[in-house]
Amino acid sequence: MRKPQTQTRPSDTEMEPLVEIEDLRVSFRTDEGLITPVDGVSFSVPRGKTLGIVGESGSGKSVSTKALMKLLPQTAIIDPGSRMRFTRKAGGVVDIARLGAGTREMRDIRGGDIAMIFQEPMASFSPVWTIGNQMIEAIRLHRAVGKAKAREIAIDMLERVGISNPDMRVDQYPHEMSGGMRQRCMIALALSTNPSLLIADEPTTALDVTIQAQILDLMNDIQSELDMSIIFITHDMGVIAHVADEVAVMYLGRIVERGPTAEVIHNPKHPYTKGLLAALPDLDHIDRRLVPVGGDIPGPMNRPAGCAFHPRCDQFTSGLCDAAIPHYTDTGDGREVSCFLVGQDEGAR
Amino acid sequence: MSDNTPTERDNKYYTASQWQLIWWRFLRHRPAMTGGIVLLMMAFWGLFADFMTPYSGTNRDRDYVLGPPQIPQFWDHNGFSVRPFLHGVKTERDPETLRKIAVPDPETRRYVEFFVRGESYSFLGLFESDRHLFGVSEGKIHLFGTDDLGRDLYSRTAFATATSMSIGVIGVVLSFVLALIIGGIAGYWGGYIDYGIQRLTEIVRVIPVIPLFMGLTAAFPQNWTNIQVYLAMTLVLGLIGWPTLARRVRSHLLTQRNEDYVLAAELSGASPRRVIGRHLLPSFTSYIIVDLVITFPYVILSETALSFIGLGLRPPSISWGLLLQGAQNVRSIEQAPWMFIPAIFVVIAVLAFTVLGDGLRDAADPYQVSN
Amino acid sequence: MISFVLQRLAGLIVTMFFVSVMVFVIMELPPGDYAERYAFRKLAATGTQVTEADIDTLRVRFGLDEPAPVRYVNWISGIVLRGDFGQSFAFETSVNKLIGDRIWLTLALLFATLFLTYLISIPIGIYAAVRRQSVADYSLTIFSYLGLALPNFLLALVLLYLSVKIFDSSIGGLFSPAYIDAPWCLAKLGDLLQHLFVPAIVLAWSATAFQLQTVRATMLDELNKLSVTAARARGLPEWKLILKYPARLAINPVVSSIGFDGNRVFSELPIVAVVLALPEMGELLLKSFIDLDTNVAGALLLLLTLFIVVMNFVSDILLALLDPRIKLEGG
Repeated sequence: MRKPQTQTRPSDTEMEPLVEIEDLRVSFRTDEGLITPVDGVSFSVPRGKTLGIVGESGSGKSVSTKALMKLLPQTAIIDPGSRMRFTRKAGGVVDIARLGAGTREMRDIRGGDIAMIFQEPMASFSPVWTIGNQMIEAIRLHRAVGKAKAREIAIDMLERVGISNPDMRVDQYPHEMSGGMRQRCMIALALSTNPSLLIADEPTTALDVTIQAQILDLMNDIQSELDMSIIFITHDMGVIAHVADEVAVMYLGRIVERGPTAEVIHNPKHPYTKGLLAALPDLDHIDRRLVPVGGDIPGPMNRPAGCAFHPRCDQFTSGLCDAAIPHYTDTGDGREVSCFLVGQDEGAR
Repeated sequence: MSDNTPTERDNKYYTASQWQLIWWRFLRHRPAMTGGIVLLMMAFWGLFADFMTPYSGTNRDRDYVLGPPQIPQFWDHNGFSVRPFLHGVKTERDPETLRKIAVPDPETRRYVEFFVRGESYSFLGLFESDRHLFGVSEGKIHLFGTDDLGRDLYSRTAFATATSMSIGVIGVVLSFVLALIIGGIAGYWGGYIDYGIQRLTEIVRVIPVIPLFMGLTAAFPQNWTNIQVYLAMTLVLGLIGWPTLARRVRSHLLTQRNEDYVLAAELSGASPRRVIGRHLLPSFTSYIIVDLVITFPYVILSETALSFIGLGLRPPSISWGLLLQGAQNVRSIEQAPWMFIPAIFVVIAVLAFTVLGDGLRDAADPYQVSN
Repeated sequence: MISFVLQRLAGLIVTMFFVSVMVFVIMELPPGDYAERYAFRKLAATGTQVTEADIDTLRVRFGLDEPAPVRYVNWISGIVLRGDFGQSFAFETSVNKLIGDRIWLTLALLFATLFLTYLISIPIGIYAAVRRQSVADYSLTIFSYLGLALPNFLLALVLLYLSVKIFDSSIGGLFSPAYIDAPWCLAKLGDLLQHLFVPAIVLAWSATAFQLQTVRATMLDELNKLSVTAARARGLPEWKLILKYPARLAINPVVSSIGFDGNRVFSELPIVAVVLALPEMGELLLKSFIDLDTNVAGALLLLLTLFIVVMNFVSDILLALLDPRIKLEGG
């Protein structure tokens, strides 16, 4: 089940990444003033690899990917300093941060180059159109095929994601299927246009554990088949271990630790990552007490100064952590950590 | 963004009760506040109509029949006056129709006075008084003009406001009680009881509302007194709101009764009465209040409509609908456009109730962080 | 689908049965009975002295000496089996004759009103929701507040007044004087349509305001649905997306309230009819209530309710066609 991911591959950096996000900053206008749920996030996704983004709700993980799809509400402002470089399927690099949300090119990228699946498989299909109708719509938007051919592709895709009897299922409505099947259909829909990047926003959170494992396996299989990159968003460290090559841990709008999944899980450096892992149940040590991360996530209006995690951190240094935001420190194993405990010397500003 | 430690205001916010939160949100909703204030003023005006008006609703001014509104002024060709005054009235014949008409006499002045003695009345049934807020030194003052019998439209509008709004209040309270009982029974016990009640509400809801009420009010015996007709009207109008309200109560109860906290209360041995009264009702009191406010305009408009076509209250009662009977056709509006003034009050009252209801609904929504 | 329709049809018949009982009770409510009023009207007018015996004779003639359940059965079986609504004593003719053409005029008015309501409220409501907080949206809100606050009969009065003042012609009635007694022809139909316009606007006034709010609110709800984001995420152009997903669902509450709108129109008809002098069923209903002409009133009340029940039936079926989720529970 588990992917081979033990060896770190410094060669990744040599390959041209599919997506490169640099200093992404997203703010929302609200009645109480400007809030900034994503505050200077940088990451990249190499071709054919999976990046897992972990964080509690409100950490800004969904907002970052919605920004990449230009799916944010009108009240959102993407900072002009942000860069979101994306290599199109047809070749050529575009900066999505510079594209208007309603432009032709953005619409081509949406669904065509980048596809997305969501947490609620029930709600992501419209209840009044058949599964097939919505799949054919997506296929015909991005591939120059007729109705009959699009239907064939849809049925073929449904079969590939493990839907039995796809000829019949294609004409069914979403409410006639189970949650797991709907998520399979959603994956089929997303992949039917041959995207180069799939954004999966907590795709298994609403499903039963057994179904969850099936869906994760399906995604792994299809990824290797189609040579596709995946950004996998979750709050569940266990799921990350299962799917991701690299992981980025987010807390209150910033990435606090990033690196190869195995390294981060076996040897977490940031206190928050440690906390997340300690809160995870472990079948080998079933009698171990789980340690929750103490305290609550502050609201977006009162973000703590300095390192945002310091009020919940048990290794917090007064006068340092609450004064400045720590730099990213490269710990040498392909990892970056934003904490004064790691390479404090060059960290302080 | 840096020094955002929880302030005192935040603490107050987080520890506030549900009602305090609703109240604060309501205070920030400007249209709703305006609506509420307007309604309070109208209610106050109507409640103290005896004092607020110079004349009783049936007092006739034979010298000023179907006369236009008289607006107090400070200035005329004879100079300026600190005290507002009206011109006197003299009778002339219309050169075309040869009818007797009242025209202002610019040479005489009648000064407006405050707290004047006039007709005596029983103040809220508590004590006798003959003081009125304002009046004129001699003759009469008609701010909104007079009707075809010479009755003061301003005074009549004030009394009509009292009648129509009180019918609204009683009608809404009645329908609320009915809805609470019927919807409560259906929603809490469910099953066959619910099914039966649902069918009943369905049947009441398909019959066109006003024709149904027409049928009921037409059955009032001719020899009933005004009080009897008034009470019967409120009863009939109370029937207007209950099916809709009862449905809301029922669906609230049906969704809430499956919540875990209800099960918890039942497991700890609470009686049905206690579960409904202590746990279920408070969970949607705010919604019910909003529903009540929204029901008001319908009740008021129904009364107005029924009285307007002669199937509601009967003279000498005074209500908005009855006043508007005077403006039932084009000829009368052309002749005396001021007969339309009570309509403005109807529109303002309904508008105020609607805005107030909207504001309350926004304020009562616990999931709305801000608007 | 067939069993769904049959099921709703059975529901319709059951509802109409209970409605007819209720209408019968309302007919029985006014003090005194039909025989007394008949005697008073007919015999007293000629100057003859009316005795108790005369009234009793009339009672036997009209079958009023029977107990209420028997009278109900006589009344309703006359209607269902022979389509006979009985006699009007005020007009001294059969109720059927009296209602005659008015049924068609009433239905024409109803359809014109509903057509106008939906024609205005659906597209504008959708537009306002999409362009939320724009000038169009705010002016729409103000309009719908006014629509709810200004009762139809007052609007009718205002329009009448304006038409007399500005155009120097009356907009009342459903026909120009020349056509009132003319036989039906194309010109008369055109004249009718012209005259239908103002009453339809007046009657559509508050229904439009109400439906605008409904469409807008549903649209706002639907626009925030994940399925819309999902459709956007597959690159659908914005207007296509809005029409195919949220707008498609925003119509459902409108469809489901067709009967409710019919109820609203029939509620306002009698009053608007008085102001605009419309010779249709609402006006007759009012007259019959004032005269206590119970047979006429009962017949009209029953017919108006039947229209609404049929509209509910149609709306149920339309809704089942529009929303695939409903078929399941319908069986």
